[in-house]
Amino acid sequence: MKTVLINCSPKKRFCASAYFLFLQSLFIGGEKVNEKLRTPADHARILEQLRDAQAVVFGLPLYVDGVPSHVLRFLEKMEIFCRENGLKLNVYCIANNGFIEGKQNEPLMQVFENFCTRTGLACCGGVGIGGGVMLNVTRILFVVQIALLVLNTVLSAVHTGNFFPKNAWLSFAENTALLLYFNLGVLFYLSGMGRVIRKGAAFGKKYTRILIPSFVFILFADIFFVIISLLQGGIFRGWLAKKK
Amino acid sequence: MKVIIHDLGLEYEGLIEEKCDRAVAADGKYAPCQGCFGCWTKHPAECFMKDSLQRICRVIGQADELVIITKNLYGAYSAAVKNVLDRSIGTSTPFSTYRGRQMHHTLRYGKHDLWKVVVYGEVSEMEKGTFRCTAERNAVNDGFERSEVIFLKDLAELEAAL
Repeated sequence: MKTVLINCSPKKRFCASAYFLFLQSLFIGGEKVNEKLRTPADHARILEQLRDAQAVVFGLPLYVDGVPSHVLRFLEKMEIFCRENGLKLNVYCIANNGFIEGKQNEPLMQVFENFCTRTGLACCGGVGIGGGVMLNVTRILFVVQIALLVLNTVLSAVHTGNFFPKNAWLSFAENTALLLYFNLGVLFYLSGMGRVIRKGAAFGKKYTRILIPSFVFILFADIFFVIISLLQGGIFRGWLAKKK
Repeated sequence: MKVIIHDLGLEYEGLIEEKCDRAVAADGKYAPCQGCFGCWTKHPAECFMKDSLQRICRVIGQADELVIITKNLYGAYSAAVKNVLDRSIGTSTPFSTYRGRQMHHTLRYGKHDLWKVVVYGEVSEMEKGTFRCTAERNAVNDGFERSEVIFLKDLAELEAAL
């Protein structure tokens, strides 16, 4: 069985869609092909990959309550390609947005249903994820935790000869458990969808989010944007002012 | 101010300009959004890409009534129209708030009146539902008091819909 996973984020690197597709790929067996859709130059290559595939998983961000425009252009071409070649694919979708409510991805999911209906493909549902950007940040934090653990272990070994500093390992375990907890909803649904993809069945539309209270999420999101705006200079260029 | 975004041909240019204060032709001669957030964090309400949409946030942001004329594409705006909207997120600020019991961004330009969508081309009942859902959400997200969706059987009905 061949599954094509299409990362539809326009960002060149470090996008949330890539993170969720990576997690999804852990739960899918058979041949897996990862593709990146950013420009029209990617269309022909991806369409060729679909020719002998049984399933396709779109990973994409929510833009203005819908499918990003560069993905719509691809879907138009994909409709023609699938009709001309008589393709019968199972279509799944992993949508993420920057707000905390996964349910805000609903219009995007409906567009994929409509696309499949028009194209004659099987719309097998997907997962709508809220807090996608922040969940993406958790993977950096996990790498930082590993780096800290290695550093503490080396320092402990050099200074005391102890290769297993208990406190460092406890701290690593606590922080990793917390990061894992934030991702539990996503892992639950993506593992479920992975099982369904393997069976070639429909998953339905499911919605989840980063597992923290929304007022805490908003506070962290605001702090995040203040820091980024400080670093990029926007805060000094009329950050909150009306523009003519 | 009444702003119309449309993906119609040049033959409708006269009619559109007569019916609004500012017309934005979604002709596809611009780049898609790169998702960099620069219009929030680096150069507010302005895109780093120097094409016809570089300052589109300022046009849409100051619209009291926004009319979007679009061909149906799976219950979504046409790619050319959606491209214009994708490049306009600088109408809000990066700060978050609650509107309609959900998280949204605060508005750079304050409240607006009407988000109106005029759809042409063949459209199924499911797609009509998606358009209504999207327009409603767009209105809440962008701070419009109300939304309206009109489905045209024929473009001859366009003038009456505007």
